[in-house]
Amino acid sequence: MATLLRAALRPLRPPPGHRGPAADVLLRGVRHGAGQLYPEHIPTSPLQKVLLAAGSAGMALYNPYRHDMVAVLGETTGLRALKVLRDQMKRDPEGAQILQERPRILLSTLDLDKLRSLPEGSLGQEYLRFLDVNRVSPDTRAPTRFVDDEELAYVIQRYREVHDMLHTLLGMPTNMLGEIVVKWFEAVQTGLPMCILGALFGPIRLHTQGLQVLVSELIPWAVQNGRRAPCVFNLYYERRWEQPLRALREELGITDPPMLVRALA
Amino acid sequence: MAAPRSCALWSYCGRRWSRLMRCCELPGLRSSWPGGPLGARQLSQEKQATETHFGFETVSEEEKGGKVYHVFESVAKKYDVMNDMMSLGIHRIWKDLLLWKMRPFPGTQLLDVAGGTGDIAFRFLNYVQAQHKGKQKRQLRAQQNLSWEEIAKKYQNEEDPLGGSRVVVCDINKEMLKIGKQKAHARGYKAGLAWVLGDAEELPFDDDKFDVYTIAFGIRNVTHIDQALQEAHRVLKPGGRFLCLEFSQVNNPLISRLYDLYSFQVIPVLGEVIAGDWKSYQYLVESIRQFPPQEEFKEMIEDAGFEKVTYESLTSGIVAIHSGFKL
Repeated sequence: MATLLRAALRPLRPPPGHRGPAADVLLRGVRHGAGQLYPEHIPTSPLQKVLLAAGSAGMALYNPYRHDMVAVLGETTGLRALKVLRDQMKRDPEGAQILQERPRILLSTLDLDKLRSLPEGSLGQEYLRFLDVNRVSPDTRAPTRFVDDEELAYVIQRYREVHDMLHTLLGMPTNMLGEIVVKWFEAVQTGLPMCILGALFGPIRLHTQGLQVLVSELIPWAVQNGRRAPCVFNLYYERRWEQPLRALREELGITDPPMLVRALA
Repeated sequence: MAAPRSCALWSYCGRRWSRLMRCCELPGLRSSWPGGPLGARQLSQEKQATETHFGFETVSEEEKGGKVYHVFESVAKKYDVMNDMMSLGIHRIWKDLLLWKMRPFPGTQLLDVAGGTGDIAFRFLNYVQAQHKGKQKRQLRAQQNLSWEEIAKKYQNEEDPLGGSRVVVCDINKEMLKIGKQKAHARGYKAGLAWVLGDAEELPFDDDKFDVYTIAFGIRNVTHIDQALQEAHRVLKPGGRFLCLEFSQVNNPLISRLYDLYSFQVIPVLGEVIAGDWKSYQYLVESIRQFPPQEEFKEMIEDAGFEKVTYESLTSGIVAIHSGFKL
């Protein structure tokens, strides 16, 4: 009996002459499959996270079309803010349901025909119109890779998928100006370093006319609404498709945007 | 011709195996062991030959070729940029040293296998061209008696600027070859260059064709390295030279630790930031660790039939140039 137990436990002990797990991981990285908490997860050491954060921030500034770099920046820097967001969601009944059921906003999970048949002015209709007008698809979000906690990985995935909802709620298009406004709103709501950095450094790439409008009107409006509204990630959007957008905005305390951003961009 | 023979043997074994299995299925004995010494040997052969390494992962041999193809297909566009970033430009010096060791003379027929983006081929053409120009200058200076034909040809620019040298770039990956062709076009290399799609384990060339065979940073990605070496031996002329530039084992322990740290911590991050591809670069650094060290590779080259095999470690053994002759 004892020999069987010893034989079973033997593979768990590291072989003799082993350098020590910490040093080995630092030098050689994590072995394949070891420590993988969810599909697509790539375990990274703290040094790698720092390098990734710095590199992705630089690359995102250099080439703003690298959306994957913005995503990586969010994943590597957002651990604390994601925990706060997750706890906020847990405290709210609707948010807790989202955490438990883990809904995804993807083309495969959305019933497009049903959404199209909804009345004019409903959330579903407006969301579809947003997707059509801006020619975007909910499937272009990259999967989470560098978050080392499975629940937080879902939280950041949810954040990415709700981002389009926020565009609809705030009435912002997907051009540079619209994205910066949404980032300001998200920065106030989530406190994610990526949102804060994006909100602060995004305007660098704007022309002066857009910058003027942004600073004088759009940012104050976004910050005000962000502060006033409850946590928008607690909303189970998949159950609110029929709700009129106006009613939802009233519920969240979001006022209409100060001007048509599309005309300016 | 070892490669086709072994392929024939393998397909023969496969046919016999499937026939045996079919015979067993008919009386309803699906999972029965065919038994007998031949059956057992076939099974063990299949088992041994099936699994190999892909970086630190274990995959089947059929899978490995496909996976390596996908890696290079996705890194092709950023291959040169990433090489510069990862090696801080030192890879250029390594490739220059390979050419320097080769010392091709005008008239050399070079086969560059896994030569994808053409780095070795372009350096070869530059070297041979410079050699030829130098030779012409020396001739003129010494006022050797050039024949009237040669003088006429020079004035008509009909003389081959390469002096008869040719390089064939062979690669298994279409994307890499495409990038190579684009580079050649952009830099104005036209004469003496050929691009061939081919597998290092089964080269589409006749025996005894080339003076020099090079493979730079390619052989560690080949599934059956011994087959590639045998093919190299086959296509070289007697007196031909085999040259391999490849990552190898670092001999200094301190540098080895720094190199490990850099490889595993920094390079995948660089791959993600610059090329948007973490996994391919993770594979690349892992495949370096799986490659045999200098002495072992030297023995493999000797097994393939090469003689006077030597190696030279560069940059404390981060890369090594192995050289052998077909005599």
